[in-house]
Amino acid sequence: MTRKRNALLLLLAPISLILGIFFLIPLGIVVVYSFLEPGLYGGVEWTWYPYNYGRILGWPLNDYEEFDPIYLAIFATSLKYAFLTVLFSLLICYPAAFWVSRRSARWKGFVLFLITLPFFTSLLIRIYAWLLLLRPTGFINAGLEYLSLISQPLDLLFSGFAVVLGMVYIFTPFMFLPIYANVEKLDYSLIRASQDLGANPAQTFFRIILPLTAPGMIAGSIIVFIPALGNFIVPAFLGGAKVQMTGNLIERSFLQSRDWPFGSALALLIMASVVLVLMVQTIRAGRKQAGDAA
Amino acid sequence: MRGKRFRPWSALLNGYGLLFLAFLYLPLGLIVVYSFNANPINMAEWTGFTLDWYATIFRGASTEGNFDAAFTESPERIFGVIRNSFLVALCAASVATVIGTATAIALARYRFFGKRFYQALLLLPMLVPDIVLGIALLIFFVGAGIELGLMTIIIGHITFLSSYVFVVVSARLAGMDTTLEQASADLGAGPLTTFRRVTLPQIMPGVVGGFLLAFIISLDDVVITYFIAGVGSQTLPLFILAMMRRGLRPQITALAVLILLFSLTVASIGLILRNRKS
Amino acid sequence: MDFLQIVSASKHYQTPEGPPVKALDGVTIDVKNNEFLTLLGPSGCGKTTLLKCIAGFEDLDSGDLILGGKSLRDVPAHRRPFNTVFQNYALFPHMTVIQNVGYGLDVAGVAKAERDRRVGEALELVGLAGFGGRRPSQLSGGQQQRVALARSLVLKPKVLLLDEPLSALDRKMREAMQIELKTLQHAVGITFVFVTHDQEEALAMSDRIAVLSQGRLQQLDTPTGIYDRPANGFVANFVGTSNLFVGTITARNGESVTLETANGRQLRATGNRFQIGDQVRLVLRPEHLKILAPGEGPDRDGSVIQGRIKETVFVGSTIQVHADVGFGRTVILLHPHDNRNAQREIAPGAEVRIGYAAESAHLIAVADD
Repeated sequence: MTRKRNALLLLLAPISLILGIFFLIPLGIVVVYSFLEPGLYGGVEWTWYPYNYGRILGWPLNDYEEFDPIYLAIFATSLKYAFLTVLFSLLICYPAAFWVSRRSARWKGFVLFLITLPFFTSLLIRIYAWLLLLRPTGFINAGLEYLSLISQPLDLLFSGFAVVLGMVYIFTPFMFLPIYANVEKLDYSLIRASQDLGANPAQTFFRIILPLTAPGMIAGSIIVFIPALGNFIVPAFLGGAKVQMTGNLIERSFLQSRDWPFGSALALLIMASVVLVLMVQTIRAGRKQAGDAA
Repeated sequence: MRGKRFRPWSALLNGYGLLFLAFLYLPLGLIVVYSFNANPINMAEWTGFTLDWYATIFRGASTEGNFDAAFTESPERIFGVIRNSFLVALCAASVATVIGTATAIALARYRFFGKRFYQALLLLPMLVPDIVLGIALLIFFVGAGIELGLMTIIIGHITFLSSYVFVVVSARLAGMDTTLEQASADLGAGPLTTFRRVTLPQIMPGVVGGFLLAFIISLDDVVITYFIAGVGSQTLPLFILAMMRRGLRPQITALAVLILLFSLTVASIGLILRNRKS
Repeated sequence: MDFLQIVSASKHYQTPEGPPVKALDGVTIDVKNNEFLTLLGPSGCGKTTLLKCIAGFEDLDSGDLILGGKSLRDVPAHRRPFNTVFQNYALFPHMTVIQNVGYGLDVAGVAKAERDRRVGEALELVGLAGFGGRRPSQLSGGQQQRVALARSLVLKPKVLLLDEPLSALDRKMREAMQIELKTLQHAVGITFVFVTHDQEEALAMSDRIAVLSQGRLQQLDTPTGIYDRPANGFVANFVGTSNLFVGTITARNGESVTLETANGRQLRATGNRFQIGDQVRLVLRPEHLKILAPGEGPDRDGSVIQGRIKETVFVGSTIQVHADVGFGRTVILLHPHDNRNAQREIAPGAEVRIGYAAESAHLIAVADD
């Protein structure tokens, strides 16, 4: 018994130390920092200071640091782009999952391999590819001009469109795989049963297929939404100076203006949204489980 | 069988599937093609085939080159950051593989109080946005007086890579028949012998897969590394990030193709190995 | 002398919701040396839990296991001189047959030459010589079963534990393996503790059977003892088919007793355990019931039950007759197939008189359930 206990302690010790010291404590410090006063030359003053949140949410300390609605606006933009990324990822991955699930066994493996592969290639290079494509002198504009469809280069880069497109592109495997896992185990006899009972294709889709594949769509949406909301690399390159997301603000607070408490407060705003999404999902899943058990 | 019922839908779906693959691969394909474009100014305009850009990676800017030498990085620097990246990925992935595997075994094979807490805790590093983990580690390391460098990058990577390895190995353990371990004990093998001769060989594909995944993720990590890298500890992704910020140059495209080739090779090996095992 | 003693073994499992479930509730069994003991019961009765506790994969909450006078409570699975044949065989998929069978010897540090010799013998014993180089996945179910047996027997365990080892085989294979296992047990002279939910299998193979239900030992006896003298209603119903009548004893004359059911049916039996006024259950096996010819009386002091045939089921050697005997009761009896004259009367709708001999009726106290 005790030997079993010791083995368990030995197995759990490394992860407890790593996650305790280098994950939980740092996250705790971020929470503390977000309530401290920024020092003059970077660093912090150890005084209670709720005005980091005040600057974002609307109770400024004084005239100097006045409430600037820009931070909330940028946060709203981030939410909007994250939602749009989820929406478009869903739209392009959902039919693709059905397509793959209907390949013969040999092709299925190969196609799945092709779809997973980009996930393992460099994130920066995938963004770089779109930079080359979307530039005013890039491939898309050059192609359209060559075909005489446009006379002036389109302003594709440095726009919300480019940011959402870039995020959809880099997160595609995240959305595809959970949906596919769900679609793959879809019982096709249920679809036949629905048709047999007189439902038309639309009814079959909305009343049978959609509810049965919803768990995969929800899981995919969550794991796309989270990194999209806090992203700063994609907007930094594809959004340029025109498109700001909260991630860019955090990056600047830490590496340029060295206002760490303010950056921490912004980071916690993102964390709060993530926690909210996860809580809703946990409650929803819990309720569903309870419903299934009843 | 399945497809026969809706033929028009099938054709439409097939067309869509090919479009989907094109969306994933055309951008990458274009990088490859245009890395051979001789035009130094506008990469979209094809002016001829050249290997010059690849040559600059290995030889540096040649004197008779038709490009701006100021935008060309020296081979020493490029291979320096590649060495850094590999060192970090190798160390972080190795340690994370040991930790993640140990944790997966503990959670799969023992009953104990607080198991659900650990299960939730292990998912967190994958769910917390990279930027939050990055700044948290930055504040922590600076506050603790630990100098930023390769060591801090390795530690930072271990924290989240352990979770990835844990998930991969756990999946393998869940699929493993637990009576095999009972049978081993039944035949007189102690816990360590059972682990070495039965459990480990059975979960090996998961452990190798977890290591490869961790290795690739570490090699490619930008955001967390971005915050916790010191001045002298640039990794390949940070180096490319810096190059991209200075402007698009053919040399990056050539370097990008080489990285693409490398990660495609490693990923292919990993995925093929996994498919063969299962 | 008792060999392995299971003393008031108890164990409960915590369920996610609701109260803990008692898997074993004070089970006491003395296992004899060299016997073929079967743990029989429906799924969830605790038989597999008991086997796992003997093997050491699970710990008892209370009670003890004693082998040769020493408690096994603190002996981990890998130090117990028992070996298990698992339900799914649990052959190591990454090892060959030889490596599987030699595994136990190898971890015990037996030298290679000795190991090869003993592995060869064991494979010979189960009829798999020449299959040593194969992997488990290249063998049929029956062959895997034999490898699992060889892997355990090669260690010459004090007790061989078998967890429903025949359940994955098809019927023909299963029947062949039943005989083979019994022969093997006689040949190697090792105590077998065999778990099954199949009562026919238990009756066919065992020296003794322990019937378990809801974690409690219901009866421990020889196969004939269990079949002819079930200790309670559960055993009577679980092992073989029984026609049960509940009633109160109204008369007793030496060995001969008469009971009356709630519906006023008078039935006779023999027994001296009961007094007038006792509530009892009368057990009648289908093969002891007989359709009487017109004018024929019941055998030896027995009773007659009036009935009407509801259904007949031809089962080969006999005809199974389901007869309605009034008050919503149906009795099942076996009628010989070879009697062509009588057969004509054995058809649904026919009125019949069913008789039995008093000595074939077994009595159980209702309180024993």
